[in-house]
Amino acid sequence: MELTQSNIKKILMDNLLYVVLLFMFVILIIISPAFLSWIVIRDILMQSSTRLIIALGCMFILIVAGADLSGGRVVGLAAVIAGSLAQSSTFYNKFFPMLPELPVIVPVLIAIGIGLLAGFLNGIIVAKLEVNPFIATLGIALVVYGFNCLYFNLPPNNSQPLGGFTKGFSALGGGATLGIPNIIIIAAVCTIIVYLFQRKTCLGKELFAVGGSKDAARVSGINVEKILVLAYSLAGALYGLGGVLEAARTGSATSTYGAGYEMDAIASCVVGGCSLMGGVGSVPGVVVGVLIFNVISYGLTFIGISSYWQNVFKGVIIICAVALDVRKNRKKN
Amino acid sequence: MNKKLLSLVLISGLIVSGVFASGAQESGDSAGKKVAGFVWYNYADTFITSARTVVANEAVNGPVALLSTDSQNDIAMQANNINALFAKKVDYICINNISPNDSASMIQKAKDQNIPILFVNCTSPTEEELASYDKVYHISSAAEQSGWIQGDAVSEYWKAHSDADRNGNGKLDYIMLVGMQGNYDSQMRTDKSIERVVDNGIEVNCLQEMLCDWQRGKAMNQVASVLAANGNDIDAIFANNDDMALGAIEALKASGYLGDGPYIPVVGVDATKVGVQAIEEGTLLATSLNNPVTLGKTIYKVLTLLDEGQPITDETVGATMTGKHIWLDYVAITKDNIEDAAY
Repeated sequence: MELTQSNIKKILMDNLLYVVLLFMFVILIIISPAFLSWIVIRDILMQSSTRLIIALGCMFILIVAGADLSGGRVVGLAAVIAGSLAQSSTFYNKFFPMLPELPVIVPVLIAIGIGLLAGFLNGIIVAKLEVNPFIATLGIALVVYGFNCLYFNLPPNNSQPLGGFTKGFSALGGGATLGIPNIIIIAAVCTIIVYLFQRKTCLGKELFAVGGSKDAARVSGINVEKILVLAYSLAGALYGLGGVLEAARTGSATSTYGAGYEMDAIASCVVGGCSLMGGVGSVPGVVVGVLIFNVISYGLTFIGISSYWQNVFKGVIIICAVALDVRKNRKKN
Repeated sequence: MNKKLLSLVLISGLIVSGVFASGAQESGDSAGKKVAGFVWYNYADTFITSARTVVANEAVNGPVALLSTDSQNDIAMQANNINALFAKKVDYICINNISPNDSASMIQKAKDQNIPILFVNCTSPTEEELASYDKVYHISSAAEQSGWIQGDAVSEYWKAHSDADRNGNGKLDYIMLVGMQGNYDSQMRTDKSIERVVDNGIEVNCLQEMLCDWQRGKAMNQVASVLAANGNDIDAIFANNDDMALGAIEALKASGYLGDGPYIPVVGVDATKVGVQAIEEGTLLATSLNNPVTLGKTIYKVLTLLDEGQPITDETVGATMTGKHIWLDYVAITKDNIEDAAY
């Protein structure tokens, strides 16, 4: 292909997200050369890890033309449940004083299971009761948050922040294998699995079909309700894992964990090219979307700009990215 | 599913939730007792939950029954709750006020019904407002103390350690982790801690002030970034609460500080269990306890005294009073007095 001016323009437009991310990096490095270091990249990837897992869940929902306002609260519930089951026996303020130390996998699986259940309920309410997804997931968000506060306030804990996690559990968020932080490895593995599921399996393709047009999907023999429930359940499970990692990473958990994460996830997905109309969304796009937001929040603090500005920049980026996307897609059609 | 059955399930869900959700929570056998209406700012707040539990426990055998409502950190909801309690003609009203500009009208309402009104753990009504009615009291911790305790702890560390000035510029370079913009406690802690350091004769330099919404995760992310950028300049980290202080500590540990690495003092407020554990481990320098048990017991004590028609004084209440203010002290918690954090 010849590199004519219009060709270059097209390549730039098609890879706009990567260009934006690269551009942000370059600007930050120009302002502060120390930004180009392994520690900075490691920090950004670690901070992006939980957000990425949550955003991947959100991506499933957007692909089936749904909406999910419960993500953050499910993350919070999973964090508290995992935290309450992952305390070391020597910690003096245990949530369950009589509980022996459990293998790491137990709190992880239970928390993911709780997330899955919340997602499943979302799916059932949307698919079977035909409640608008905004309302269904708003309702579940409140229910989940309420239960989380009740659980968190159980005596003897009485709403004290959880702590004293076992070494194994903390290692999920803070440890490293062969020099690479475990949390990054976990996020990378999740990303690859979700990518393969989406691209290589029938179910993955059916998600797109349902999101593109429910009627067309139904006519071609897809069980639309089942696919919807699947999408919400998968999202719930990923939120659950996100909650586990957030607790492990920060070494604590409270009922306010995850507040607002659903909006960050939606924003990352949308900037990453997911359409709110459904049927569109790619894993690499979501990865870049998440990275863009984390580079902003980390980078602005790094160069010493007030944290109040972060939200302004984030808002502008959301609007610009989506407005450009609309134009790009219009040209294609 | 059978459609009728589904409808039935939905209807019963609606009714059951409605019955549970409507109205306030009563505690204490209300038969024949006078009733105190409580308007708490947010049940989801750890500290409020603890204080509320103490008041409820006191009420089980006390002379005054309770009617508690939750404003869910929403001013409109608070107004609704207050109106409902006045309409119910409670005998006392206790407001954990989130809307400091509105206290005059609340006092007026209490005056109209001739019932005592208590402002608890919140910004005080103005002296003028307090003087406008004889049965109004303000029970609260002295918020500035939590800042002073932080300032003193860091000053003491600075003076005792010749290597505390890590970049040798002669100034205490600090970062401040702010809980919530416009929040009274947050503001007082941010201002008074630094004021105290300056009063102790130390020159300061604010490297960065960051809004972290009281959250551990946010504090951790932001501090990681500041460490990567200016790690060698930071002499101290002030946090408006323990959760954020512990987030900062996680970030410090991840970047090779504390433990065997360089030490940077971190101070918090609240003396949460995990905060006290960090003090024991030596990662958190100091925190302070605003004891919810003391708050809860003092509130109930005042209600009891009012009910018995006794005077409200330093001796009868057991706390420091100035005029109609009843002040509850913050207790500084450091490695030397960990046992004081138990309540």
